[in-house]
Formats: sequence, C-alpha cells, structure tokens
Amino acid sequence: MTVQGLNLTVAARPENLAVIRQALAGYADAVGFDSDAIADLKTIVTEACMNVVVHAYPDGTAGPLEVSVEPDEHGLEISVRDQGSGFRPRPADVEDSGLRLGLPLIAALSDEFEISGGGGGTEVRVKLGYSRNGAEEESGDERHDPETAEGMVMSIAAGAFVRPVLARVIGALAARADFSVDRLSDTILIGDAVSAHDASDFRQGTVGIELSDGMGWIGVRIGPLVEGGGERIVDGLELPGGTSLSKLASDVTVKREQMEGGDAAEYVVVRIDR
Amino acid sequence: MITFSGEHDLNTAPDLRQKLAAELEDGFAIVVDLSGAAFVDSSILGAVLDARRRAREAGVAFEVALNEGAQPVERVLDVTGLRASLPVHSTRGAAIEAARSGPAGE
Repeated sequence: MTVQGLNLTVAARPENLAVIRQALAGYADAVGFDSDAIADLKTIVTEACMNVVVHAYPDGTAGPLEVSVEPDEHGLEISVRDQGSGFRPRPADVEDSGLRLGLPLIAALSDEFEISGGGGGTEVRVKLGYSRNGAEEESGDERHDPETAEGMVMSIAAGAFVRPVLARVIGALAARADFSVDRLSDTILIGDAVSAHDASDFRQGTVGIELSDGMGWIGVRIGPLVEGGGERIVDGLELPGGTSLSKLASDVTVKREQMEGGDAAEYVVVRIDR
Repeated sequence: MITFSGEHDLNTAPDLRQKLAAELEDGFAIVVDLSGAAFVDSSILGAVLDARRRAREAGVAFEVALNEGAQPVERVLDVTGLRASLPVHSTRGAAIEAARSGPAGE
C-alpha cells in the first residue's frame, strides 16, 4: 500500500489519545499549519478518537482505532474509524457532561464534518485547512487486521514528514513508559535516524512502523524493507558521537518474512528499555 | 486549589474527577486553575462542569482561573460556549478572592 499521508492504527484505549494527538500535531506542523490550526486539529482528533474509545466497543475490549490523514492543497482530510457495531450508549455509571460536547466541538472547529457507518464500524471524516473550500475525496485506505490493535501501526510516505511525526510519537510513548530524559533523547535519536534513512530501502516508498510499549520498554518494528535494507538500517544509523543503534537499544534484530507474491521483506526490530 | 499543567484528556479525567471529589468532600472553597494547561478535551471540561454543579448543590464556592492568553483552553471554552456558564477569572488571585467571598449563588 502506498501512502500519501499518514495512517495510524492503535488499540482504542484512553492512554493512546495523547499518542495520536502528538502524531497528528507533528504532521500538521510539518505541512505548515499554524499554531492555532494545530490546536484545533488536536481538539478535533482527540474528540473523534474519544468517541471511539468510549462508544465503539463493548466494555473491556479495545478494538482497533484507525486514523488517517491525507493532505491536499487546502489542508488536511482526517478520518477516524472503528470496526465496532455502531453507536453504543455510554455506560450508565459514567456521569459525564463532557461527552455531550465532543461532536459539537468537532463540528464547530472543522471546515467540513461527516459521520458515516453502521454495522461495520463508524467513520468520522473531517477537513481542516486555511481556506473554507475543501476538495479531494476518498483516501482509499485498507483496514488493518483487528489483531494488530495491541500495538500501534503507522505508515507514512518516506520524506520530510516522517521525522516530526515519529519524534512526537516516540516521545509520547517514552514519556508514558516513564523513561528518563536521557533515555528519551536516545529513543528520539533512533526515530531521527530511521527518518533520515534512504527512502529506497522502504518498500513502495512507505515507511512502516509498528510500535508497542509496556512497563519500562518500547518496541519498534521498522518495515517492510527491501532485501538488504534491514542490515543497512542497522549498520547505517549514524548517531551523534559515534553511538551505534545496538548500543542505544537493548535488542536489535533483522527479520525476514515472506510476502504475498513470493518476495521477501525485511524488518528491523528494536527494543529499548528504560 | 487544583492547578493544571500539560495535556489532559480522557486518560487523565478519572484522576481529575477523583481530585475534585476529594476537594468537594473536604467542603472548602474550590479554585481550578486552567492557565497552565496545554490541552484539555471535553471529558476534562465535563469533569469541571460536573464538579461545579455539585459544588453549587453543596453550597461550596467554585471558581475557575484562566489567564488571558491561555489560548488552547480559551478556544475550547469559547467554542463550546462554556465560558459563560463557568465562573472564569482572568487571574488566579481574582479566582481565590471570589472563592473566599463564598458561593456565587446564581
């Protein structure tokens, strides 16, 4: 899948809202949104994603929450989707005046706003830009397998937008995993190095990143890469001060997987401990 | 006094609700200072609104401080129209002063 914008899939959980917000703020910053527009975008995305977290799935299950961003000449088109079975009333024991404010907030802050869906999931689609004239339709994204909802799956076109998005996402995850400031900066260096890596090593020019985290650790899976790309990423990461990736990370491996059509793809799997 | 800093959303709302409930339980006047918040969503505004309602029912003063120029929060308060329904003061000092003089009534 070639991606023009940014795609993210995370488990629909409250703690992932900040990560999504940071990723989109980084992207919007990189495409030239001013700080007011970024602030509005953060509110819109948070409110739309919160609806998924609160309403999409039965209590105790965190299905996938998918966010995609497509740029056009007017600004960004943002889609927030779930695979739930339609709107679920909030639990009766939750008293919250705030939950009634979410959709009006999205409507007020966006240039265009629509909700669609039914049995197969709900989608909130929003356009936000400098001008009031939207354009473009359909981002044509594939859906990710619900089983991937544990971690965070992200794909973004190789190029200038990778770094700001990845830095913010990794920063948010590291803060959540309670990393020290030193470890946080190490972790962001890894993101920077991946961002700077030659786009030709990424299949279809799309940087795929899967992130996972737990108590005191972050996992990063980079790929699919072309053959030899994995080794080049591991060898070629030139971090300041001559530090190598394997010194910063607790574990670095290159894995090869068979793709559909017989091609082999490589992935670099990195684990960083607190 | 509850002072905000950083970003707040559904993930931190339960913690805020707990703090507000504890303050209400104590029965002292409550000041919520939103000036340092970099981001608040509707779940946070909802928690503040619900606490304000409960405080009014309990006859406890409840005031909100929001410095002028605290843009991220000002924006959501303006867009939702909540600025009119919350007792917002432009300095923490003014909010504390109002809280000292007792419940606003309304």
